[in-house]
Amino acid sequence: MSNVVLDGLNKSFGDLAVLDNVSLEIAAGSFVSFIGPSGCGKTTLVRVVAGLEAATSGSVLVDGAPPRLARAYKRVGLVPQQPGLLPWRTVRANAHLLLDVNRHANPPDAANPNTLLREVGLGDFMEAYPHELSGGMQQRVALVRALALHAPLLVMDEPFAALDEITRAEMRGLLNQLVESRGVTVLFVTHNISEAVALSDRVVVCSPRPARVVADIAIDLPRPRSSDVEDDARFVALCADVRHALHGAMRP
Amino acid sequence: MTRRSLAPLIGIVVFLAAWEGFVRAFHVRKFILRAPSSAVNYLWRFRGDYLHASWVTVQHSILGLLFALMIALVIGALLASNRFAERATQPILLLIQVVPWIAYVSSVVVWLGSGTAPALFMVTLVCVPAFVFATVDGMRSVEPATLELMSSVDASRSEVLWRVRLPSAAPTLFTTARFNVGLALAIAYYVEGANFANEGIGAIGRSAASSSDPFAADRLWASIFSIAVVGIVALLLLSLLERTVLHWHAAQRTERR
Repeated sequence: MSNVVLDGLNKSFGDLAVLDNVSLEIAAGSFVSFIGPSGCGKTTLVRVVAGLEAATSGSVLVDGAPPRLARAYKRVGLVPQQPGLLPWRTVRANAHLLLDVNRHANPPDAANPNTLLREVGLGDFMEAYPHELSGGMQQRVALVRALALHAPLLVMDEPFAALDEITRAEMRGLLNQLVESRGVTVLFVTHNISEAVALSDRVVVCSPRPARVVADIAIDLPRPRSSDVEDDARFVALCADVRHALHGAMRP
Repeated sequence: MTRRSLAPLIGIVVFLAAWEGFVRAFHVRKFILRAPSSAVNYLWRFRGDYLHASWVTVQHSILGLLFALMIALVIGALLASNRFAERATQPILLLIQVVPWIAYVSSVVVWLGSGTAPALFMVTLVCVPAFVFATVDGMRSVEPATLELMSSVDASRSEVLWRVRLPSAAPTLFTTARFNVGLALAIAYYVEGANFANEGIGAIGRSAASSSDPFAADRLWASIFSIAVVGIVALLLLSLLERTVLHWHAAQRTERR
């Protein structure tokens, strides 16, 4: 589990300001979603945390260290929007990909990708190639690939955006189950309100670009969560809270 | 045998029969067009000589192709990571590609002497540019998400090169190899005829073309048939390799359907 501290974070690409003074403290083991209008800079925010982008000013600390170090020590598991599987590798080999590079940074307690693949229901597809899988299955491989690192921090950038609604709901359940049993810290970018509420301990609502934090809503739904949680009256109320905050942010 | 694999055979048989019939019906002069039956007949009679010559030509063209591929992979890997170097190198590669090799081949023969050296050199030189372009294009075709993923765990440049970029270049490299096979055979054939070494199919063809003995036409057309067989076998082996190596690639999958 990692704790993440953002302090006065600014980021601009040339004249274009993308992040505006973002400060947040994220407790170890919590699941935090970032929601905001598309193009607002929420993806940039998590990319800065993952060390893929440098901040213009302000600081980011992952367990007290700069993201560059967290990256070098493989303490961040990235799940991109597109699964990005290598078409010439089998499911098993794709799940192994991140363990095959920068090997000396592999943790001694790295998870066995084969066990994980079985856990997410891909036990019968280990020798299959990505083109033989559905979109949901491909994204599950991407999830396993990140979890296999046994990294204390998972950064997920709209991982389910390209999936159909039914698969998406299924993935929500799976993700809840996976992170609840592992106690990993998760930063999750989405623009789906119910997805954010169903998964998170905290939903951070961002303004249109440049992204500012306009609301920080605690989701105190009990865990472990099943898909029934979405029928809960509190779930519906929390979704409404997030929606109002989001609409408030959209207004100039 | 399935209907699909029968089709090309039928095509070839019909083509050869039409050719044979045309030559017989119109009494075409020997040198212009020899009937396939007499060329094949001659080829069979001197099969030992032609087999040996074919082997020499295979070595010139295939070795040259392999050298070209290896050189191109190294150059391509360097260029794919450096736009400046790519821009600086492009004109040289384009020059090699557009200047007809046949224009300067005699200078190379004078320079490198007779035998294998000029044939190998020419095949390698002329086949390099297309391989380099294929390598650079293929390496750049990697999905940005994949590169991002690799950098999220601090994968080194060489790890990205070996595990992601080179395999991504395989499909374009195979397409280019197919095109380069024909080029390599043409160059090997021509240089063998021009380098006074009397080795290879090209040497037989050249001496036949400048000779006036009664069997010259047979010798010439037997050499043409030999190089055709070499080319077809090379292409078949290449497709076989492609099917095994690139079974994951979309183009191979649709082909199999």
